Amino acid sequence: MPFLTEQLGNWRFYLTGSHPAGPVGGLAANVLVAVICLSLGLVAGGILGLGRLSRWSCLRWPCAVWVEVIRAIPALLLVFWCSLFLPSMFGKNLPLFWGAILGLSVHAAAYQAEIVRAGILAVPLGQIDAALASGLTRSQAARLVVLPQAFRMMLPAFASFAISLFKDTSIVYVIGVVDLVQTGVIVSQRQPNRMMAAYICMAVGFFAVCRSMASVARTLEKRLGNAAALTVSSGRA
Amino acid sequence: MNGLHYNFDWSIAFRRPYSDWLLTGIKITLLLMVATSILSLCLGTLLAVMRQTRIRLLRWPAGACVEIVRNIPGLFWLLFFYFVFPGMLPLSWGERLNACVYYPVVASIIALTVNNSAYVSDIVRAGLLAVPAGQREAAMSTGLSRYQQYLYVLLPQAVRIMLPPLGTRMIHNFKNTSLCMAISAPELTWATQQIESLTFRGLEVTALATGFYCAVALALGSFVKLFEKRWQARIGNEAPWTNRLYAIPD
Repeated sequence: MPFLTEQLGNWRFYLTGSHPAGPVGGLAANVLVAVICLSLGLVAGGILGLGRLSRWSCLRWPCAVWVEVIRAIPALLLVFWCSLFLPSMFGKNLPLFWGAILGLSVHAAAYQAEIVRAGILAVPLGQIDAALASGLTRSQAARLVVLPQAFRMMLPAFASFAISLFKDTSIVYVIGVVDLVQTGVIVSQRQPNRMMAAYICMAVGFFAVCRSMASVARTLEKRLGNAAALTVSSGRA
Repeated sequence: MNGLHYNFDWSIAFRRPYSDWLLTGIKITLLLMVATSILSLCLGTLLAVMRQTRIRLLRWPAGACVEIVRNIPGLFWLLFFYFVFPGMLPLSWGERLNACVYYPVVASIIALTVNNSAYVSDIVRAGLLAVPAGQREAAMSTGLSRYQQYLYVLLPQAVRIMLPPLGTRMIHNFKNTSLCMAISAPELTWATQQIESLTFRGLEVTALATGFYCAVALALGSFVKLFEKRWQARIGNEAPWTNRLYAIPD
């Protein structure tokens, strides 16, 4: 027991970094980055995804090229660009933390755009025809008929992307943000006798969050999946 | 210069020794990609088959390993195999590993393989489960052994279902090789960062590296798409269930 308390003496550091004294770090930083990037990515990704489905090719093409190119670039390089190179190119000074968030948001937006697009394309054409035939305008059909159904189909993909993005937040370690990985590395360097404990804490931290996200997603999916199945079957009847 | 606060000097990428670093970086990146793809395909298939067997002693540990690896970021595995793993070996082995110049690359290969295998195993498992049970029953009733059932009946059909998600996974794995710079494996991203810290001309080489990653990933992506289209066309009605593509989360 004394061994454990000695080894895990700095549990607070893993969870929130040097928070009250300094910036938020540790696992809290990962969660914070993931939440901000997911929300920013959802907004930008929604716009990009809808843009790719637009009737106007002058909107469709740039969106498609942007999404495909960004998806082909490693998230780490996007983070480098947004936190180091683009600010220096324009002579601006961006705090590393926000640079990392910007980079991961760009990454998230491209992936979420694809999810949005796939979700909308998965809505049967008959639904759109029916909506238009019943006298709804195009925007009403999109808002009232297509998007609610598409949203349900996107949900599982969103959930798995959220988990994947949460794991990807660990790359902010590389540019020096004190996230969970960085706290573990710092501890293992300053107190080599705690190395094993530090790595176990890292692993447990990520595992716990990812697993709970996955189980929440599964519950949600089950509940909404049933609802979706119901609407589809009642729609057919 | 028109609003930009940076004077580009592209010659940096073609000057020695930086050009050599970049070329070595590209080679190491490609080596990492090919080696980890092949190794993780083997390990992932093995894990998937282990998770399907009736023997609980195999099924349970395989499932646990996949679950653990999937829920922890790849960067952790890189750091783990580089910093912690040598210390877990007998002393002389660990020292030999730590002294080895190639250990960063070896650790990268191990870590990326471990990380990627978990996802590959999920894809393979989903592929095997998507083959209708009747196929296995038919194979069994024609007198094939379990091994033969897998080799001649189940895996060939599963491969068609698995191919698109596997392609996506391998592209993902290729992009993940950039993380190996964290343990100073001399791959492309590491080379750009090294040039940045020595010459402060990281922007130009990072732009080139970004172009390289982008080109390779897009080429692989279109290759996968082409292959998929061809295969789908060829099998046509022969096996309708193979058109059912399963969304495999990354």
